Amino acid sequence: MQERTLTYSKNIKMNESSGEFVRKIKHTITSPSRIKQFIIRLVMYVLLFDLTYVYIFPFLYMIVTALKSNADLNDLSVNWIPRSLKYQNFQIAYQLLGYNRYLKNSVIITFFATLGHMLGCSFIGYGFARYNFPLKRVLFLLVIISFIVPVQTIIVPLYITYKNFNWLNTFLPLIVPTFFGFGLKGSLFIFLFRQMYLGLPTDLEQAAKIDGCNFMMTYWRIVVPIARSSFLVTLVLSLVWHWNDFYEPAIYISKSSMTVLPSRINYLSSIVNAPPDQLFDMLQNAASELPEGEESLNNAVMMAGTFLIIMPVLVIFSIVQKQFMQGIETTGLKE
Amino acid sequence: MRNLVNSIAKKAKGIKFNFHLTMEKRHKIEGLIFVSPFIIGVILFFLFPLYMSLKLSFGKIISMVGFKIRWIGIQNYVRAFVIDINFLPMFWEITRNTLIQTPLIIILALIIAVVLNKNIAMKGFFRTVFFIPFLLGTGEVMRQLLSQGVDRQVLSLANSNILPYTLLNYFGNDVVTTIDNVFGMLVQILWKTGVQILLFLAGLQSIPESLYESAKIDGSTEWEMFWKITLPMISPVMLLCIIYTLVDSFTDIKNSMLSYIQEFAFRRTQFEYAAAMGWIYFAFIIVLVVVIMAIMKGYIYTTEAERGGKRRARKNVNV
Repeated sequence: MQERTLTYSKNIKMNESSGEFVRKIKHTITSPSRIKQFIIRLVMYVLLFDLTYVYIFPFLYMIVTALKSNADLNDLSVNWIPRSLKYQNFQIAYQLLGYNRYLKNSVIITFFATLGHMLGCSFIGYGFARYNFPLKRVLFLLVIISFIVPVQTIIVPLYITYKNFNWLNTFLPLIVPTFFGFGLKGSLFIFLFRQMYLGLPTDLEQAAKIDGCNFMMTYWRIVVPIARSSFLVTLVLSLVWHWNDFYEPAIYISKSSMTVLPSRINYLSSIVNAPPDQLFDMLQNAASELPEGEESLNNAVMMAGTFLIIMPVLVIFSIVQKQFMQGIETTGLKE
Repeated sequence: MRNLVNSIAKKAKGIKFNFHLTMEKRHKIEGLIFVSPFIIGVILFFLFPLYMSLKLSFGKIISMVGFKIRWIGIQNYVRAFVIDINFLPMFWEITRNTLIQTPLIIILALIIAVVLNKNIAMKGFFRTVFFIPFLLGTGEVMRQLLSQGVDRQVLSLANSNILPYTLLNYFGNDVVTTIDNVFGMLVQILWKTGVQILLFLAGLQSIPESLYESAKIDGSTEWEMFWKITLPMISPVMLLCIIYTLVDSFTDIKNSMLSYIQEFAFRRTQFEYAAAMGWIYFAFIIVLVVVIMAIMKGYIYTTEAERGGKRRARKNVNV
């Protein structure tokens, strides 16, 4: 096998004399369509890299600033590369945020809410894609309407409803509605799943049915495994949305021990921007202290805090990133 | 005794026979089981609150116990438009921002998605990069970053060495600030395109390759193919994107209306006025969506299968 390829490449080399090679290059350079193509490609890549800079900027800014020391922050000549890396910033931010405690709250809410979207929306989407039942058009119209209505319009009665259920200051108002799949995000997922199911051939399900699978078993054993990529897309989108959601948690949860991690950033910023005479008291309340030789907190701590808050999402995304991007391709959105 | 048992057994058999469902009926029931979570949820957490908030916006709460409301007509709406001096300017600002930002977000996202859909080097890297601002979030983290003026630092004339300082002096301070503001706006818009790029990418993937191939054989250029194939084929996704962008812009952190409604509802406990403002908002969105639907109606591409969707669905009745 190896020998054969070797001789083959030798043949090519022998056939392709230097004159032919030069002619090829000449052709590439002088042909106007090729030049045009080359220029278009060049412009495209330049634009892409420029955009990459714009998109990656907030992330880089966050990390670089988080690693800066006080001197580096005040030195205007230090822009991207800090003179000395200061890992302590992360430690201080970690303590001030009360990271462990609030991480737990955020993880519980995000886990169950994401699970709710994945289970609920795939289930409902399957019903809309494969079945005909009375009032189907009306129900689908309701999906669209609940997609359009902004949360602010119904927030007051929702609040009162949850109050009657005794759900305030629990995680339930953030978790339970996701299982029913409505609202801006739920409807979007229903659309995604419905479109994906519509694109699937029905052969497998029919075969399962003939073999005596009932409709629930068909769904769990046949459809869900096929729909893996859509589940992944839902997972990432729902995860990020619930992790960063600041509006609804702020309304339904007023007890400070129950708040989610991202809203702790306001507390952190209030400490960082506190006047020096109050700083000591605030730090004592948070059971933490300044590192030696420091008199005040600075922006670096702030950025370290934001990085710590966003880190779990980044970790999960980097794990599923490859499959996620492939999932987008196979979702096959048509409507 | 035996007779009795026999007769009961016969009756039971008869009942069982009555419960036997036809294929079609069973199909309908199975379908309803699948969408039943949606029906429950939408009634409990959506339609009921929607109705209550409409009632609330036209009324006044008499007692919080049992949530009794008295009808007072359009007073709350009059208050928003005539009495409240903060509402109209705020509403106008948000309307303007939305009308400027939405088309820009859609167009930029479409361009980026089309480029990313091409056969380019480092495709995976670029796709991941364009998703980073979305990961950083639309919530508190982004608010913190924006409050530090990160959006203006990206492409800043004043703080960077893109242009020499003397040249900037020549322009004057106002011009430089304006340019920086525009850049800042543009950067913020770009950061909001994450989901839209994803939706467009998914839409682009579903366009069959054979269309492009046959167009290429007929001698059409890439430019023509974009306008004649890509754009029509992707128009349904575009509609979805536009509506999503519109609605999403109302839960944006930079939206002052959000905190305004929240303040009235939960700090001043004027639920009625908050509900009225929420409905003005919703009415505005509905009008926009209807206008967009009307404009795009003639251009939206539907497949043969979707047009004959009902017929096809009836054929597949057993699955």
